[in-house]
Amino acid sequence: MKSVTASETVVKTTAARNIGSSPGLQRSVRHYALEVFALLAGAVIWESLGWSLGLQWLPPFSQVLVALVQFLASGLILSNLQSSLLSLIVGFALSLVFGLFLGALMGRYRVVEKAFDVYVHALFVCPSILFAPIFFAIFGLSDASRIAIIFVYSTFVIVINTATAIRTVEPSLVEMAYSFGCREHQIFTRILLPASLPLVFAGIRLGMGRAVKGMINGEMLIAFVGLGALAQKYGAQFDAAKVFAIAMVVLIIGLVSNAFVQALESRLTRWAD
Amino acid sequence: MNKHALRDWGPRLAVLAVAVALWEYFLSRSQNFLLPTFSHIATGLFHLIFFEPRFWEALYISNQALIFGYATAVMIGVPLGLIAARLPWMDRFLNPYFAVLLVMPVAPLIPIVIIALGLGLAARVFIVVSFALVFITINTRAGVRSIEPTLIEMAKSFGAKETQIWRRIIVPGALPAIFAGLRIGLGRAITGMVMVELLLVASGLGRLLLEFSGRMQSDMVFATVLAVIIEALALLSAMQFLERKIAPWAPNISIG
Amino acid sequence: MIRVKNLTKEFGSMDNGGGSVLALSSIDFEVRDNEFVTVIGPSGCGKTTLLRIIAGLISYQHGEVSIDSHPVVGPGPERAVVFQNFALLPWTDVLGNVTFGLDVRGATKNDSQAKAKELIKLVGLEGFERRLPKELSGGMQQRVGLARALAVNPRILLMDEPFGALDEQTRRLLQEQLLQLWERERKTVVFITHSMEEAVMLGDRVMLMTPRPGKVKEMIDIPLKRPRPPDIEKSAAFIEIKEYLWENLRAMQTDQP
Repeated sequence: MKSVTASETVVKTTAARNIGSSPGLQRSVRHYALEVFALLAGAVIWESLGWSLGLQWLPPFSQVLVALVQFLASGLILSNLQSSLLSLIVGFALSLVFGLFLGALMGRYRVVEKAFDVYVHALFVCPSILFAPIFFAIFGLSDASRIAIIFVYSTFVIVINTATAIRTVEPSLVEMAYSFGCREHQIFTRILLPASLPLVFAGIRLGMGRAVKGMINGEMLIAFVGLGALAQKYGAQFDAAKVFAIAMVVLIIGLVSNAFVQALESRLTRWAD
Repeated sequence: MNKHALRDWGPRLAVLAVAVALWEYFLSRSQNFLLPTFSHIATGLFHLIFFEPRFWEALYISNQALIFGYATAVMIGVPLGLIAARLPWMDRFLNPYFAVLLVMPVAPLIPIVIIALGLGLAARVFIVVSFALVFITINTRAGVRSIEPTLIEMAKSFGAKETQIWRRIIVPGALPAIFAGLRIGLGRAITGMVMVELLLVASGLGRLLLEFSGRMQSDMVFATVLAVIIEALALLSAMQFLERKIAPWAPNISIG
Repeated sequence: MIRVKNLTKEFGSMDNGGGSVLALSSIDFEVRDNEFVTVIGPSGCGKTTLLRIIAGLISYQHGEVSIDSHPVVGPGPERAVVFQNFALLPWTDVLGNVTFGLDVRGATKNDSQAKAKELIKLVGLEGFERRLPKELSGGMQQRVGLARALAVNPRILLMDEPFGALDEQTRRLLQEQLLQLWERERKTVVFITHSMEEAVMLGDRVMLMTPRPGKVKEMIDIPLKRPRPPDIEKSAAFIEIKEYLWENLRAMQTDQP
């Protein structure tokens, strides 16, 4: 039961992969023409509906863009963005360290795997937002709460992917290294580490996406600072354009960080097919 | 088989024991006198389940959004995914939206939903749907696309009509991925329900949690969260069990 | 000299709670220095297991396996293995792969690269030093595997169906090349194969194994002249030995259920 779930997370999200990868600008423009057209068409429809329907909750797309630009220009978004991003980085860094470490141990040693697999699996499938009230009770209205939520959101996908990555290293490579006289630590650094890199990166990418979700979900609930708090504030003011703009900012953060990890990944795993 | 099961549980229980020990240690060191010990949480949970009718009432109310929302998401998402996979032009058109929606967090848009639909059941159902829909659709679509084209060719060569191809090849072939999508969608729907409860604080579990924390009954707060975690795990395990039963040959593609 | 006496290997039950499998039973044989011994037998006869034991990669329950009177307890610098599926590091180029054995033993970069380049030239891959394994054909990859094994200067080469994953044409070319290399420097070779032609073509002696549990059925001398002339396969002696092998193997297979 558990191994089924473990291998699923290992598959890269093909949709998210398409964004941010451009082999050559000309080639990619032609290739994605229809997709770009689809998005533009949607924007146009949004725009016209916004003007014609005049609903409070559906401002024209252009107004959203204006709000977005205003945000980026003014200092307002910057300070909130900074605070959000700081928590994101700290939380994600912690989950990377913990996730890679536990995942590596679980992948290498069956005992460790057996000991932790039930919990890792449970924490992975369980909606992470459920821990928000708990962290709020422990840490109160502080950065620690937000960081803890981000940690819970992203760690377990990293653990599972790392464990699977190490466990599925081709045994013949390990045997070969052993036949040439490699000791345990050499097998780890020379074989397990590089061989597991592609799948580990898949986990890191997924973890990154989860961390961003954790950041914004956590901030919506424990809202005193950051983008989530802003969204709440503008929601209370019935300013839909600004709320949409914030959602777009978060979306951009997600896409940029995904592209970043992907670029790193392709540089480090050029040898993989 | 039994001997091995016991051997597995040894280290597992050891980890649990260490975790509880760490928690108790952390408690003893912290300034926060409100934090409950492990036994407090356990008794709180017991009390909640057996002696607190308001818990079950709240659970009932909150789960309405979950049930209606999830059912709607499934009834829209699966057909949408099937159609998107079969009509290439529509698929390419919708693709960028799927990609965006996968990465886009729904939570910041909740205030907009509130503006549009207010604070009632409609809003809550809508939010649950928006959490779950994309994942169900995408996995359904992936399932259809994972079917070997040669199988469809083969069916056509025997003269099968579109409806027959659907019934005999596409639906059975996509079933494992569809179920994976249903399971992931369920997890997302539960997340949506929890977000709704905690943000809207309407009349269900969110309200209960607010009351408990207002009265500084942190053991009850923990117990309530634990109860919801148990519900979530139970539902998801049931789903996974169903998934294994329906499609033991599941090829392990799933998105989310 | 490799001496195997009364070797028995059993694979115990692990998670399946079932019975164990007796892979090898009372194996007895010797490989003299500088001798090329090929090993052939029906599928599942344990020839790969035997090779692994000699390589020091797996343990055994009973018997003696020794190299020059030193018992085998693990891998050692006097032995090197060539693997059927090449076992190249996909993330390292040809040069890096060939220097692997030397790097592990702590050789300096200059030394190991110099030696590697020499061997890369020897196996005919000059110019390919910077290529990744995925850019090479199967035959080329195995030549890298061979170069890697030769780089650590072993006295004994243990080859586990090294050409089994290659197409016939490539296989024949590599057989010729292997023989050429061996004529230059006659290492002790134990070569597992399932091909009768290969067994007779390459070996000084052929060890014929029985089905599982594997035993040594017969050690057959191959009195063909060295170096092997190109049309050796047409010679009467060659065909006779090959047919003898096939008769025996066929009889062993049809005895199987």
